[in-house]
Amino acid sequence: MRLTTITLVSAILITSPVYSDVPYTALLADENNGADWLSYSGGYKSERFSPLNQITPLNVDQLKVMWAYQMQATGISGAGLQESTPVVAGDVMYLTESPSSVTALDTRTGRMLWHFVPDISNEVLNIGFPRINRGVALLDDKVYVATLDARLFALDANTGAVRWQTTVADNSLGFSLTLAPLALDGKIIVGVSGAEAGVRAFIDAYDADSGEQIWRTYTVPAPGEPGSETWQGDDWQTGGGSTWLTGSFDPELDLLYWTTGNPAPDWNGDLRPGDNLFTCSVLALDPDTGEMRWHFQYTPHDTHDWDANQIPVLVDGEFQGRERKLLALANRNAFYYLLDRETGEYLLGEEYSYQTWAEGIDDSGRPIVIPGSDPTREGNLVWPSLQGATNWFSPSYNPNTEQFFVANRRMGAIYFKADVEYRPGQPFLGGGEQALDGDQASGAVLALDGMTGAQQWEFELQTPPWSGVMATGGGLVFGSSNEGQFFALDASDGSPLWNFNTGAHIRTNPMGFAVDDNQRVAIIGGQTLFVFGLE
Amino acid sequence: MCIPLLTQSDSSSLKRRKRGKFDLWISLCLLGIWAAPAQAQNLESGEQLYRTLCARCHGMLGEGGEGPSLKRAQLLHAPDDDSLVSVIVGGIPGTGMPGSRQLRGGDGVDVAAYVRSLGQLPPETMPGDPNAGERIYRNEGNCASCHILDGEGTGIGPELSQVGQRRNLAYLRRALTDPAAEQPRLVDRYRGSLNAFLTVRIVSEYGSFEGMRVNEDAFSVQMRDLAGTIYSFDKADLISYEKALGHSLMPGYAATLSTQQVDDVVSYLMSLR
Ligand code: HEC
Ligand code: HEC
Repeated sequence: MRLTTITLVSAILITSPVYSDVPYTALLADENNGADWLSYSGGYKSERFSPLNQITPLNVDQLKVMWAYQMQATGISGAGLQESTPVVAGDVMYLTESPSSVTALDTRTGRMLWHFVPDISNEVLNIGFPRINRGVALLDDKVYVATLDARLFALDANTGAVRWQTTVADNSLGFSLTLAPLALDGKIIVGVSGAEAGVRAFIDAYDADSGEQIWRTYTVPAPGEPGSETWQGDDWQTGGGSTWLTGSFDPELDLLYWTTGNPAPDWNGDLRPGDNLFTCSVLALDPDTGEMRWHFQYTPHDTHDWDANQIPVLVDGEFQGRERKLLALANRNAFYYLLDRETGEYLLGEEYSYQTWAEGIDDSGRPIVIPGSDPTREGNLVWPSLQGATNWFSPSYNPNTEQFFVANRRMGAIYFKADVEYRPGQPFLGGGEQALDGDQASGAVLALDGMTGAQQWEFELQTPPWSGVMATGGGLVFGSSNEGQFFALDASDGSPLWNFNTGAHIRTNPMGFAVDDNQRVAIIGGQTLFVFGLE
Repeated sequence: MCIPLLTQSDSSSLKRRKRGKFDLWISLCLLGIWAAPAQAQNLESGEQLYRTLCARCHGMLGEGGEGPSLKRAQLLHAPDDDSLVSVIVGGIPGTGMPGSRQLRGGDGVDVAAYVRSLGQLPPETMPGDPNAGERIYRNEGNCASCHILDGEGTGIGPELSQVGQRRNLAYLRRALTDPAAEQPRLVDRYRGSLNAFLTVRIVSEYGSFEGMRVNEDAFSVQMRDLAGTIYSFDKADLISYEKALGHSLMPGYAATLSTQQVDDVVSYLMSLR
């Protein structure tokens, strides 16, 4: 294996270097660098926007598959879903394969350069979500992957060899890591899953070189800490607030933005009276100390599992006549929000998808909850379903047109409430749902006016999607469906211009890069990664 | 029901492959060995766990959803209680069925007992004469013009070869008298449970078409008409596309057959195991 790698790398070295370092300065420039895609969301603003403009509405119908890569079989049961977004640095693509493997590929040919498989036991706990991984972080000469059994690995970017590993949390209590870590200057930030097992979640920063922990910020306060007045008794100890999706970063304000998930137990709110801060929120943290600068709670005292773990998109624009630094988020709870990202001030909350739980959002940003929309013992029909009006899969923002694109799930559910007692490493849910799926549900890709949340167009999908979108500088929006199509829409009116049947459900996000100045777009369908281009 | 809700052609091939095994379990079922002797309190804790862990995919009442219905006396992957517990704890590798490893120990057994209780269809008494029903099926009912039974007939509607195992009396009577009331669903791991015989009406430049949806996505729809011809349409080219939810292409027999005749046909269907 080692010999092969060396031979392959040196053979390609003859033409151009195959592997390139990713200094922090490169991460700062990721948004405008169309050739690379250096982090999960394509830059610290999390726009998931590819500035490349070779592929346009006029030629998109000539897209063809340049190469495909079929993933490696794994002995870990239940690891059949792929939710990874590949990243590209120079001529190497790095992607993860479920549950927590990493693969490096030559972007010209799709040939494998190395493959790393962590020693994960088949007995690993994953309570409340599938055995997946969403991708890696790159910094300098290392690749960082967080694992299902709650470890963080730093790998040598050239060979996949382990530089260091550290245990982030105890998997036997239900902690897991499925997110792509976020690399800052000398630091790696990760969050955890586990609210369905009643963990008390946190956000962690690790030294990128040594793996030493730099700080940990809990998302549920201990007695006496700010926010603890929103909990009673010992409820905080099992309070949830998972941090399972990659956040965003504003280098000028020096603020790290991270979202949090549901309070635990999910559906029986009687067991945890109060607003349950800082669950279902977005937090602004000092990246050096982890100290919380401000917070905004989207869904106080959530009883529908409406995690706020969606991508917080950093957008700059004129809001109500004033140039502002904003944070846009299309929430699982069916509202599109704008906050001032300097202060956390609430600015806008617009319904973007059918819902039956709130009359609207009041001036302070608090939902005006319709009485009787909580789960009951007999079952209570509420829209959206617990999977939300959208979910972890990424939205996209085109800064030139100020359009916010989001994949939308349109499904209601009958929510049930049940008794539950906390037991370590066991599901701590307190209810469930019966989703109105199949022909009673549908989906769409929506274009919203980023500054008002008003819908510009929709492209309807047959079933509620599990895959994100990416807008491009060529005026296109790429998206995918459960039915397996990868498609391109005209960003100006949503009309479908091209589609390709990958032959399997798609459950991940598109991304874009370039090979020899030729634009590429990539998506994973089933177990296969497809890379498209014109030439 | 002993065959999972796959597409109809899938289920027939499954049936052929596994015939011997099913026969064995049918006889165990008749002997009453089937039911796990579940304790009341086990069932209760099993139900609690089921609601929190399984209901989101298998339905609060076991009626199915993302996963198949569990209101079936016979489970393909779990012919006995041991294998049921191992399916529950370990999942079914390579499918959408996750393992619930936290149920190792007694909890898995409780959930298994509850799953079995969902599948215990009480032995129902036939309301009529199955032999008379068979004659009606072959003659005035003309059922074979639309159904395949033991390899005979035309496959417009679902195969009926073992329908008595997967459907109960009330369902079968409703299927005859009010066919649109409940239609078989096709459980798709990624899309949920879709109506497998949804009536669709399509107008394109080539004319008007009515039939049952075979498959659909955002860009295309595939349809089978009553003559058995399969069509594939690009949605962009259609003049109109109607999904007639709540409509069935099977004629209702409430008017054409007497109550006695309906009972006889239902009894015949119940005997198909
Ligand atoms: C994420 C969705 C999901 C969850 C949660 C889930 N299942 Fe399943 N289950 C499935 C799917 C999908 C299948 C069908 C697998 C296949 O393709 O054969 C299945 C199959 C089964 C089968 C086999 C049926 C047969 O005919 O062989 C049993 C039994 C079962 N599940 C029980 C359970 C129980 C009990 C739980 C809770 C402890 C549970 N499942 C949780 C999705 C789920
Ligand atoms: C014109 C075609 C047609 C004829 C004739 C017809 N059926 Fe059907 N049948 C269908 C279709 C289509 C379905 C599925 C859609 C539905 O259930 O409404 C169906 C469904 C059924 C079902 C439900 C099966 C299940 O698993 O859910 C039963 C039982 C049934 N038919 C029995 C009969 C019997 C008995 C007769 C004769 C008395 C008959 N059918 C005549 C087309 C037909």
